[in-house]
Amino acid sequence: MIDYFAIALTHFLLALAAWRLMARDDLDADPVSPADGPADGDLRG
Amino acid sequence: MPIRYRRRMALPTAICVVDLFLAAFVLGLLALGLRRPFIWLLTYLYIDIVAPQKISYFLLASIPVSLIAFAAAFMGWLAIDPKQDSRFTFRQALIAMLLAYCGYTTLVADFPVEAAEKWSWVWKALVFAIFLPLALRTRLRLEACTLFMVLSAASIIITGGIKTALGGGGYGELRLLVNDNTGLYESSIISCVAVASIPLILWLARHGTVFPRDWRVTVFAAALCFACLLIPVGTEARTGLLCIGVLATLALRTAKRRFLYAGLMAAAALATIPFLPESYTARMNTIENHKTDESASTRLAVWKWTWDYAQRHPFGGGFDAYRGNKIRYEIDMPETAGSSTEVDSVYIVDESRAYHSSYFELLGEQGWPGIILWLWLQLLGLWQMERIRRRWKDRTGEGEQWQAPLATALQQAQAIYLVGSLFVGIAYQPFIYMLIGLQCGLWSYLKRIDAPKPARVRREIKPLQVPAA
Repeated sequence: MIDYFAIALTHFLLALAAWRLMARDDLDADPVSPADGPADGDLRG
Repeated sequence: MPIRYRRRMALPTAICVVDLFLAAFVLGLLALGLRRPFIWLLTYLYIDIVAPQKISYFLLASIPVSLIAFAAAFMGWLAIDPKQDSRFTFRQALIAMLLAYCGYTTLVADFPVEAAEKWSWVWKALVFAIFLPLALRTRLRLEACTLFMVLSAASIIITGGIKTALGGGGYGELRLLVNDNTGLYESSIISCVAVASIPLILWLARHGTVFPRDWRVTVFAAALCFACLLIPVGTEARTGLLCIGVLATLALRTAKRRFLYAGLMAAAALATIPFLPESYTARMNTIENHKTDESASTRLAVWKWTWDYAQRHPFGGGFDAYRGNKIRYEIDMPETAGSSTEVDSVYIVDESRAYHSSYFELLGEQGWPGIILWLWLQLLGLWQMERIRRRWKDRTGEGEQWQAPLATALQQAQAIYLVGSLFVGIAYQPFIYMLIGLQCGLWSYLKRIDAPKPARVRREIKPLQVPAA
């Protein structure tokens, strides 16, 4: 029973997350480029 | 092939329902991917962590779902996703080198059949870690990956947490969805991964946009963190206790009121002890007295063997090279008679004992080149996350609040893994390579959006020199 509860709860949340992601345009492209922020250094590794 | 044990279930109908449910869920995700191919990548994350084909009896168990999801994710990215924002980072190159080297050692392995079997899943984890950052082009994708990793692991953690809370734990006895001691279902591995997930859960609860912060998210996150903490108790894996200690120490670094936090942690730890099962406290006591514990003595003997092996085979013996070991070690057996206790030393001879440490696993299997590449990959990750944290932590602008906490969470999760790895052989654990993939994706994403803007070309108009007549 506990197994079924854990599976049902997490899979419901995963499905809900996937469904919500479908409606989000910013999944494939950031809406506003944060490149407008500070731009004085570099981040090289 | 790992031996699979079928689960005992009361009702055949329940088996059918679970099978149909899991199959419908995977098919549903694959169908959503037709409109948004990135969902296929999330599907692969889910399949690799939960392994629904192991929970299933007939439907998913008979289909190579993992391969299908991987092919769909990769082809979807290759064919449809824009590539202009994808960057290949240095750490991905390190993983590619490690992959190539592992491929080479598999060809010349001491135990070719066993090595080929381990290679069959290791290469997928490494290739996916190379590929994942290329697809993580937006903030939402980074969040979605973190969310799917956490919720997928949660399906194992929640069941373990509830069973532990109801008194169903015990060393080697806590059953996690399936009776299969591989992947995340192994007790020491899930203990380490569960504790390493806590920083990610907290980040999602504070900065998530798919499930924005509200009371339901907070309650779920708190309950899930509690379940994560219960997993080391339920599995009685000593590594888990160590991981909790690392997490508590690391959290001190970012806590605003450190003294209050440290006091609360100490009080919580003291208050918990009376509620812990007796078998748990007895097992944890063996941490400090390893000479009476066979498991700990075996580890020390295997590590010594591996060190000697690496001197003779500096380029490694390929996957599962430990199978060639024969070790002899001494343990103390205390015998109490009346008021006196005598300690007898007993010699135990053992063979083919696993490494029980990721560091020695790398050293024995991939030799010095392998462990150097792996350590480089790991340490560079810690350093890169630290760079991001320092660079973004004081920013207050809109959309600039989530970066430093995510870097911190990924750094903490990795540090917990690195400490847990001291005592568990999880050098190629796919969950960790997903974490590394996320780190590479975050590093690459922030490097791109935070790059200096190209300087404007100033045109200076010089007055026209008119030659004197």
